[in-house]
Amino acid sequence: MWYPETTEHLSEIIRKACETGAGLVPLSSGPPHLHGASVNPEAETVCFEKMNRILKIDRKNRYARVEAGVSFGTLLPALAEHGLRANHPFLPRAGKSVAASMLEREAVLVPKYQYDYTDPLLTAEVVYGTGDVFRTGSAAGPGPVEELKADMVCPWGPGSIDFLRFLCGAQGTMGFVTWTTLKTEIRPSESELYFIEAEEPEVLSKLAAKLLFKRVPDDCIILNAIAFSAAFSEDTRQENLMREKTARWIMICRISGYERRPQERIRIYSGYLKDIAASYSLRQGTTLSGAEGLETFIDSRLDDCDRSDVYWKLRRGRVREILFLCPPSRAGLLTKMLEERTKVLPRENVGIIIQPQVQGRAFRIECDLFHSESEKEMFENCALEGEKALFAAGAYFDRPYGKLPSLVYQTDPVGVQALKKVKSVFDPKGILNPGKLCF
Amino acid sequence: MSMTLEAYKELEAVVGERNISNKPWVLAGNRARTPEYPFEYHSPDAIILPGCTEEVQEIVRICNRHRICFVVTVSGASVDAYANRGDTVLIDLRRMNRIVEINEEDRYAVIEPGVRHVQLYPELRKKGFTYVTAAVGPGGSVLANYTSTSGDNHNQHGASRANRYLLGVEMVTPEGEILRTGSLQTGSGWFCPDGPGPGLRGLIKGFFGSHGQMGIITRAAIALNPCKGPREIRTEGHSPHQHIYLDSECSKVRVFNYKSLDDVREAMLRIGEAEIGSTVMKFFYLTLAVMMTDSANEFHKLWPRIRRELPMPLVVHLATESPEEMAYEEGILNDIVEETGGVRIAPDLENWWNEHMDFFMVVSVLQRTLRLGGGWMPIKLGADSVSHIVEVGKSISEFIYDYTDTGKIFDAPENFQIVPMEYGHFAHIELLFMYDRTDPNSGKNVAEFRKTSRYTDLKHHYHAETLGCLNETTELLGPLYCNYHLWMRALKNAFDPENLANPILKE
Ligand SMILES: Cc1cc2nc3c(=O)[nH]c(=O)nc-3n(C[C@H](O)[C@H](O)[C@H](O)COP(=O)(O)OP(=O)(O)OC[C@H]3O[C@@H](n4cnc5c(N)ncnc54)[C@H](O)[C@@H]3O)c2cc1C
Repeated sequence: MWYPETTEHLSEIIRKACETGAGLVPLSSGPPHLHGASVNPEAETVCFEKMNRILKIDRKNRYARVEAGVSFGTLLPALAEHGLRANHPFLPRAGKSVAASMLEREAVLVPKYQYDYTDPLLTAEVVYGTGDVFRTGSAAGPGPVEELKADMVCPWGPGSIDFLRFLCGAQGTMGFVTWTTLKTEIRPSESELYFIEAEEPEVLSKLAAKLLFKRVPDDCIILNAIAFSAAFSEDTRQENLMREKTARWIMICRISGYERRPQERIRIYSGYLKDIAASYSLRQGTTLSGAEGLETFIDSRLDDCDRSDVYWKLRRGRVREILFLCPPSRAGLLTKMLEERTKVLPRENVGIIIQPQVQGRAFRIECDLFHSESEKEMFENCALEGEKALFAAGAYFDRPYGKLPSLVYQTDPVGVQALKKVKSVFDPKGILNPGKLCF
Repeated sequence: MSMTLEAYKELEAVVGERNISNKPWVLAGNRARTPEYPFEYHSPDAIILPGCTEEVQEIVRICNRHRICFVVTVSGASVDAYANRGDTVLIDLRRMNRIVEINEEDRYAVIEPGVRHVQLYPELRKKGFTYVTAAVGPGGSVLANYTSTSGDNHNQHGASRANRYLLGVEMVTPEGEILRTGSLQTGSGWFCPDGPGPGLRGLIKGFFGSHGQMGIITRAAIALNPCKGPREIRTEGHSPHQHIYLDSECSKVRVFNYKSLDDVREAMLRIGEAEIGSTVMKFFYLTLAVMMTDSANEFHKLWPRIRRELPMPLVVHLATESPEEMAYEEGILNDIVEETGGVRIAPDLENWWNEHMDFFMVVSVLQRTLRLGGGWMPIKLGADSVSHIVEVGKSISEFIYDYTDTGKIFDAPENFQIVPMEYGHFAHIELLFMYDRTDPNSGKNVAEFRKTSRYTDLKHHYHAETLGCLNETTELLGPLYCNYHLWMRALKNAFDPENLANPILKE
C-alpha cells in the first residue's frame, strides 16, 4: 500500500513501479467499494487519503479544485459556505471521492448544468504510467502551475487531443489523477420541490426529457417506490412502511430561483412545469402521498451526501448495481425489460432509479439489487443474465465493471485495438490497474 | 506530378473517372487561397471525391500502400484543408452531403461531412431545433466545424462550444480502419460520445480539431438544442440588403456600450449567474462596422462613428419561452446593466441587430469581414474563465498601439471579442486584425504582431494561445504546456506511423 502526499511523490512511486513492473491500483474513496474498480489482487494499492486538500473554492468564477482524496462529505459543506453547490450524484456516500465520482462519469442530479458526459469535471492533473506529470485543458500552461494565471477551468485540449476523455471511465488504467477542477453552481436562494406520481416509468421519462429540453428543472430524478423508500428513510422500519404507501413511480423535480427575483422565476418555471406535466395528463404536487411530512427531509437529503453509518444502499448488507445509459426513446422500454428480468427476485429488493442526464438527451438507469451475503449468488446470476439481455437490446454499458468488459468489448475489435494503442502511449509498461477493461 | 499512374488508376477505380482529376488546371484551382498565411503552397497530385465511407476507406488504404499523403477538404475555408507538400491527394468530401437522420426524440442529427449549414439549419429549424453554429457562413461544413476545426460560436453563452455537442463519430483511421466512438462502438446508437471505458472521442477533437491528422470523419452525430422564438423567419429585401427578423415577443437584442473591460466582466458574470440570455458577447467593433455596410466606401463613412460610439459593445440576445419570462429576463438585465455602468446604444445601431437575426443562426453576413479585400487574421482564440479571459483582453493594450499607430495593422485596437459559454463558466477570446495585403511589409508585420501578442500572454502566464493540431506552433509551445506536443506526436505515431494524414509538421 502506498500513500502519496504530493504529485512528485506519486510520480516517484509510478517510476519505481515502471522499473520493477509492479502493478498499481488507485484508491481515492473510503469504504465500501461497490464496483470493484479500485480492487485489484494483481496490483499494489496507491491510496490517496493523504491527498485530501480542497485547493481552491472560487465563488466568482464558480469552480473548486480538490485533491483526489477529497470526499463529498468534506466538499459539500465547504461549498455551501461559499454559496455554491456541486452537481453531485444522488445521495453518494460521504466517503466517496469527488474526483473518482466525476472520473467515472457518475450520474448527476441537475441535468441542465451538464453539457456533456464529462461535465462537471473540468481539468485534472495526472501522473501517467511513465511517471510524467500532465495537466489537461487550460491547466496545461503556459509554465508551471504555480505561475499560471488561468483559472484552469477550460476542459478541452491542450491541442487537438481531448486528454481528459482518456482519463474518464478509465478506472485508473491511463493515469492516476492527483487533483481535479470541478464546475460549481450558485445555490438557489429559494426553491420549490415537486413530486409527480405515476404507475409506469415511461411517461415520467418522457416528461423529464421534455422539461429538460426547455431547461425547466434543477434537480430531476425518477425513482421506483423501492429505491425511493430506501433513499428517503432513516432505517429499515421506516423504509418498509413508506414502500407500501408511495406510488409505484415518483419523479422529484426542483424549481429554483437564484439571487435575483427568485420568486418571479419560481412562479414562471412552476407554470411551465404545470403545463408540460398536464400535457402528459400528470399533476405535480408539493406533497407526496405516502410520505407526507417528509418533504423537508427529502429536500435536505437531495442537497447532501449520505452521512449515516450504514450507506442507504447497504441496509440489507449488499447491493449489486446494474448501470447503463440510453437515449430518451429507449428509457421506457429498457426499464420495462429491467423489471421483467428481475421479476424472479422479491419486489422489495429491486430499486430502480432513472436519471435524466446531459440536459435530458440521455438517461442513466440504475438498478439496485439489495440483498444479504447469503443471497449473493442468486442476485449476481440474475444481474449477469439481465445485463446480457439488456446489452442485446441496446442498453449502453459505458462504465463496464466486473465481468462486463468482456461482454461490451467483444463486439468491437477495431475499437479495442484503438484503445490499446492509446494505452500503449500513456502506460507503455501496462502497470496501471492491470487486467481491467480490455488491458 | 509524382504520383504513379498505377496509384492514380487504383484511386480512379474506387470512385470512377468522373470523381477524380489530375488535370493541372483543376489541381491549381484547389490550392489554398490565402497567400498571406505562412504556409507551403502546393497543388495536390490528384483531387478525388468519394461518395461513401467505404470509398474513403479504400482511398486511404491505397494512399497507405503507395505512401501518398492525404488531406481532406469540404468548403476549404481553412488553410489546413489544402496540400502542404508534394505527393498529396486532396480528398474532397462534398459528395457525402446526406443528412442521415434527424432524431427528434433523442435530439441529435447524424450528418455526413458535406452537409453545409445552409442545408441543415432550415431542416432543423422547421422541427423546432437549433444547434451551435460557427460564424463561417452558410457554405461551411457543419461536421468539419464540430469535429476538425474550432467550434466557438455566438450562442455559446446560453449553450456551449461545439465540443460539448459532438456525439457518436464514424471515422476512417489513417491506416484505413473504420473506427466508431462511444455508444456506436457497442451498437447502442449515436447518442453518447464516451466510453465504453475511456473515450476514444479524445482522439477526434481536443480544444481544436486535428484537421484530419488523426483520420477522416465520415459521419457524426451532433446534439440539438431547442430553438426559442418563432419558427417562421420574416425576411425582406435581397442580398446584400437582406433583412432577417425573428418577430416575436420572445426575442430581443439589446446592445450596451461599456467604458471598461472590468465592467464588461462584471456584467457577463452577473448575467451568467442569473442564467438569463441566449447570447452575451463583447463584440468586435471593426468587424461590426464592416458587417453593417455594403461597400468599402460606406464602411469608411460609418467607421468613425462606430469607433467613437461603440468601442466596447456588449451584445445580449434574450430568447424566452413566454412574454412573461421575457419581462423577467429583461428586468434582471436592466438591473445588471445599471449596476455595471452599461449604456444602451443609439436605436439605429441597435436596430441593425434586430434586422439581421440570421447573425444568430446561419450567420450569413459574417463573411463580409473578408470583403475589404485586405488581409485579416484571428489570433489568441484560447479559453478559460471569464475573469481570466478579460485579463487577457486588457493586456492587448500593452502592445497593440505600436502596430495600430504605425499603420502596420488597421487602427482598431479594441477589435477583439470575448464570448462567454455555459452561462459564464468560461469564455473565449478572439483578437481579429486587418491589414493591407498589398503592403510588401505586411507579411513581416503580421508575423511580428502575432509574436508580440503571443509573448505578452506567455510573459503574464495567460492561457490564451491557439493550441491546435500538430504543427510548428505546437512544437514551439509544447514545452510550456506540459509537453503536450510529445503526447500528441506519440498518439499520431501510434495511429499514423507513416505520417500520411495531413502531415503539416515536417519530420
Ligand atoms: C469568416 C469566417 C468566420 C469563421 N467563424 C468561425 C466561428 O465563429 N467559429 C468557428 O468555430 N470557426 C469559424 N471559422 C472557421 C470555420 O469553422 C472552419 O473553417 C469551418 O467550420 C470548416 O468548414 P469548411 O467546410 O470550410 O472546412 P474545410 O476548411 O474544408 O476543412 C477544415 C479542416 O478540417 C479538416 N476536415 C474537414 N472535414 C474533415 C473530415 N470529415 N474529417 C477530418 N478532417 C476534416 C480539413 O482537412 C481542414 O483541415 C470561420 C471561418 C471564416 C472564414
